[in-house]
Amino acid sequence: MNVALQVRDLRVTYPGPPSVRALDGVDLNVVRGECLGLLGESGSGKSTLARVVLGLATGARVEGALQLGDQELGTLDEAGWRRIRWTRLALAMQSTAALNPVLRIVDQVAEPLRVHLGHSRGEARERALATLASLGLGRAEAERFPLELSGGQQRLAVLAVAVVCEPEILLLDEPTAGLDAVTRDQVVAFLRSLRERRGTTIVVLGHDVEALHALADRVGVLYRGWLAEIGPAARVLGDPRHPYSRGLLDARPTLATIKELRGIRGRRPDPALVSPGCPFYGRCTQSVSECMEIRPALEPPAGERDSRLISCIRGGVLLLLEARGLRKSYGGVHALDDVGVEVRHGEVLGVVGPTGAGKSTLALLLANLLVQDAGTVTFDGHRLNGKPSQDLRRRLQLVFQNPFEALSPRLTVLAAVREPLEVQRAASRDEATKLVRRALDSCRLPSDDAFLGRHTHELSGGELQRVALARALVLEPQLVVLDEPVAMLDPSEQAELLQLLKAIQVERGMAMVLVSHDLATVLRVADSVVVLAAGRVVERGSGTQILTAPRHAVTRALLAASGAGALFHQQAHSNDQEAQS
Amino acid sequence: MQGEPTTDASGSPAASHVRSVQRRRVGAPVAFYGATAFLVVSIVFLLPRAMPGDPLLARVDSSDTLFVIDDEGRDRFRAYYGLDEPLLAQYRNYLGSIARGDLGWSIGRSAPVRELIAAHLPWTLLLVGTALALSALIGFFAGIAAAWRRGRAGDRLLLVTLTGTRAMPEYVLGTLLLILLAVVVPAFPLAGARTPFAVHESAVAAVIDVAYHLVLPATALTLGLLGGKFLLVRNTAISALGQDYMELARAKGLPERLLKYRHAGRNALLPFLTVLGIQTGFAVGGAVFVETIFGYPGMGTLILRALDERDYPVLEGSFLVLAGCVLLVNLAVDLTYGRLDPRARAS
Amino acid sequence: MSAVAARLRGRERRAGAFRGGPALWLGAGVIAAFALVALAAPALRPYGVHAIAGDQLSAPSRAHLLGTNAVGQDLLSQMLSGTRSSLLVALLAGGGTLLVGTLVGAVAGWLGGLTDALLMRVVDVFLVVPRIPLVIVIAAYAGSSLATVSAIIALTSWPAGARVVRSQVLSLRGRAHLRAAVGFGARTLYVLRRHIVPELGLILAAGFVAAAERAIVLEAGLAFLGLGDPTRKSWGSIMRDALDFEFLFFTDAWAWWLLSPVAALAALLLGLAFVGVGLERHISPRVARHAGGAA
Repeated sequence: MNVALQVRDLRVTYPGPPSVRALDGVDLNVVRGECLGLLGESGSGKSTLARVVLGLATGARVEGALQLGDQELGTLDEAGWRRIRWTRLALAMQSTAALNPVLRIVDQVAEPLRVHLGHSRGEARERALATLASLGLGRAEAERFPLELSGGQQRLAVLAVAVVCEPEILLLDEPTAGLDAVTRDQVVAFLRSLRERRGTTIVVLGHDVEALHALADRVGVLYRGWLAEIGPAARVLGDPRHPYSRGLLDARPTLATIKELRGIRGRRPDPALVSPGCPFYGRCTQSVSECMEIRPALEPPAGERDSRLISCIRGGVLLLLEARGLRKSYGGVHALDDVGVEVRHGEVLGVVGPTGAGKSTLALLLANLLVQDAGTVTFDGHRLNGKPSQDLRRRLQLVFQNPFEALSPRLTVLAAVREPLEVQRAASRDEATKLVRRALDSCRLPSDDAFLGRHTHELSGGELQRVALARALVLEPQLVVLDEPVAMLDPSEQAELLQLLKAIQVERGMAMVLVSHDLATVLRVADSVVVLAAGRVVERGSGTQILTAPRHAVTRALLAASGAGALFHQQAHSNDQEAQS
Repeated sequence: MQGEPTTDASGSPAASHVRSVQRRRVGAPVAFYGATAFLVVSIVFLLPRAMPGDPLLARVDSSDTLFVIDDEGRDRFRAYYGLDEPLLAQYRNYLGSIARGDLGWSIGRSAPVRELIAAHLPWTLLLVGTALALSALIGFFAGIAAAWRRGRAGDRLLLVTLTGTRAMPEYVLGTLLLILLAVVVPAFPLAGARTPFAVHESAVAAVIDVAYHLVLPATALTLGLLGGKFLLVRNTAISALGQDYMELARAKGLPERLLKYRHAGRNALLPFLTVLGIQTGFAVGGAVFVETIFGYPGMGTLILRALDERDYPVLEGSFLVLAGCVLLVNLAVDLTYGRLDPRARAS
Repeated sequence: MSAVAARLRGRERRAGAFRGGPALWLGAGVIAAFALVALAAPALRPYGVHAIAGDQLSAPSRAHLLGTNAVGQDLLSQMLSGTRSSLLVALLAGGGTLLVGTLVGAVAGWLGGLTDALLMRVVDVFLVVPRIPLVIVIAAYAGSSLATVSAIIALTSWPAGARVVRSQVLSLRGRAHLRAAVGFGARTLYVLRRHIVPELGLILAAGFVAAAERAIVLEAGLAFLGLGDPTRKSWGSIMRDALDFEFLFFTDAWAWWLLSPVAALAALLLGLAFVGVGLERHISPRVARHAGGAA
């Protein structure tokens, strides 16, 4: 394997005050001829990486090893850098202010040719014009000044400047950000042809996942100056394994997602702080105490043998709840037959199906309130067998369908919500009241004494369901199973509750299993969906897949029932009309 | 030059002058300067006539102290100013004279003003031209050098020194130079543009003589003009250094020389050009003072003597000619600017 | 005159409040010193300004701390009188420049449209015409009393300041609280007075310093050319007297006669320059130095 650029434990600190650790131990090997994509939001250190590799990070303290082929880059002086720059390593910057406003485009493109390759004025000009032409910028544009071109054209010009000396390695900082679709395709096509014709090694830094799909062989994910995951592009982008990658890729708005966007909880961390442990600790939903102390190294995730590497002490996104081969019958009736589901940390699984499909049974089994005839349910690595520990009970909760029944009518709100705490002996009376208030707050219920003193029969259905939810939340569970939570509510209350569920789920990074007969409800909230019919799983997939490409008849019926028919009806109708005419 | 505008490219008078230059693009520079010239001539016409105790009439009033005794002179004075005619006729006559190039008759020297100015103007042009050129060159290169060494000793020193000289008027600078280099250390002549009564063997020797006499006055004027240019170039270059294109230029591996002059310097060039235009006015004013200190036979000396004698035609004529020169230079700068500024061309 | 002192000391206090560094304090101190001298001049003056008090061209001595000139007048007395003149002009002309410039700039910026275009054309014209020759011609006609000279300076120096004020006003115009005032029915002058001018405070302060500098230079220059107030001796006219004396450089007299006014001018101007630069550091450096007729 021919390595074009090698980065070992690169640490870059900008002195303050306050000092900022822009890169925090990055290990990277860029193979000759490949296209490596580095995915990162702002603050991830990707711009710093681009600059350090070109020796432009003035004022920063750079530690670690950087090697370009055989050449050590750490020991270079300015003259040494000049020899390398542009002929071996070139950068296409993100900003359009990268073009000098008082010099013509063609002159700026020709300049490095004259300086580095010793071309004469005429030769350099011709070459520059040719390069610009290959990017779609004609002679007229070339002769102009940067301000006379549109934003997209300026970007293309910056690209032309970068490639004109045919460098070994080309670094691109957000090459497609802010470009319209046509120009973006142009850029992608150009870069592809560059690789084919000259075998240029390309490194793309940015957050345009579509472009990376089209271009990159490998993709790495940067977070706070540290590599969270790196591997073949299809794998990393299609099925990210690191909690951060998953969150990031889930968060981007595309037409493909119809569920609401799920951001990554927590705030972006203060760049001045350097943590000894995993940088993602504070926002990760599956972190344990070791994560705070130990910095994970890049390793293949559990169960994979190919070249993907991730940095996670727990080996990547974990399954929180896993059910396999569940079987349950009542009398002679098979309620469930060979059902399996998977719920990852922080994710929402929707379970849909017509009445009698076995949804409630499944919910009870998953919440370990019923014992299965066959099959296994594993929660966070522990087998559930009907006699789970207190601890497991705490972490896994269920919200029932009928709030009127789920809460004892004799109890006040306070007593009802406090019950789990009492059972678990988790808190003193006073503390418990505080926790109750907090739980009610997060369910957007009043938490004053008056409300606490009310009896459950005085509340409406929506309020009751929220009290039930508060009760489930007061123990701070990791996963909540909700069985038809909105079925018995008025439409306005339904909307409120769904919104609430979504908000809580993001806030707490809680995983959920949402059981419902209504696909519309489920699709709003769920990351992945399982369709049950007559006790079996007939279809599973992401929400988008279910909506746009349903395979099973039951799924289609469910779609129709929830009004999806109206969406597609127009389409079908006009198709028919076209067919007729 | 004390008190004249400077600082960075986006800084006040320089930048707003730039913007007004761009505004004028629409109205055409020629029209603007033409109108200004006309306005100036009219103001000069109105000024004495608007003063309380009409100074012009005073000179032909036998009871006044300023009475012109010489008959011929008094008649010419009367004719030139049209003192017997109604105002509008005076105005027409005046404009006519100016258009013909007749600037009147000097009372004190008994000669046509035009001739006097023709004899004195070249020396002023030499002085001003030299000073502008020198201050431009030094200011530009020093400015860029300072920007590159920003914050370090060299920059600080230049900054302090030139801020100081900027605050000093030319007559202070001139006097100090005179004392230091012509009196204390008699290295240069005290006065004059040429050694009096000298006969030179060759043209070269004559030129050297002129240059020798030019050194001190030109230095005084150059020092006065230097500060403003230096600061402008320095500040423009510094702000250019902070821009992304400078980073890209460095990333391209370009040698320092290209970075300084092609990329940063070129950005400073346009504001620099406009400052050149603005400074011409100041240079002319400063030259008046410098010439009086060094006895340099230019317009300054002419004006000084005319002031003594209240020789109004000479004073007016000098002002008109000097103003005309400055307007011409500014017009040229405006037109050149229009050709060079890509932003102006873009719109 | 106590108002003058108060204003100058107030200026010093303002300057001192900023982190201008030692240069700022030095500059402010120099200005304060000159101000005190100006105030006390009548008391400090040993002889009359025009009185022939001693031998001609005598070197500095106990009786004549700065020596005498070719006529035998005491130079110290003349210099003290000159201090007074210079500072008076600085205040009058500087203040006048600032006043006119601010008014024009504010009106142009606030009203916009045709008024603005017209006023800015006028400003352009002023800035292009060479100032010294113009002022010379005007002074030749109008006479050169202190008041007249101050008026001439103010009337020819205001344009640059107007530009700066205008651009500030333009940027202030869009602010919500101004719109609100207009919404209540406030008229132009009210808005200018109540909202705009107070915001300009610091810029005007810097502008005043620059205007004062300019005024002192111009006044001394005019006096130097013989256009000073004949009843007063200003530093410029002392220089003129000295240089008019044919044999000045054949004696040593230049050392006290010529150098005194030159040194005084240099010191006062440097002081103002340092204060100006110090203020500049606290305002947007683009705007600071030019709000007061520095062109």
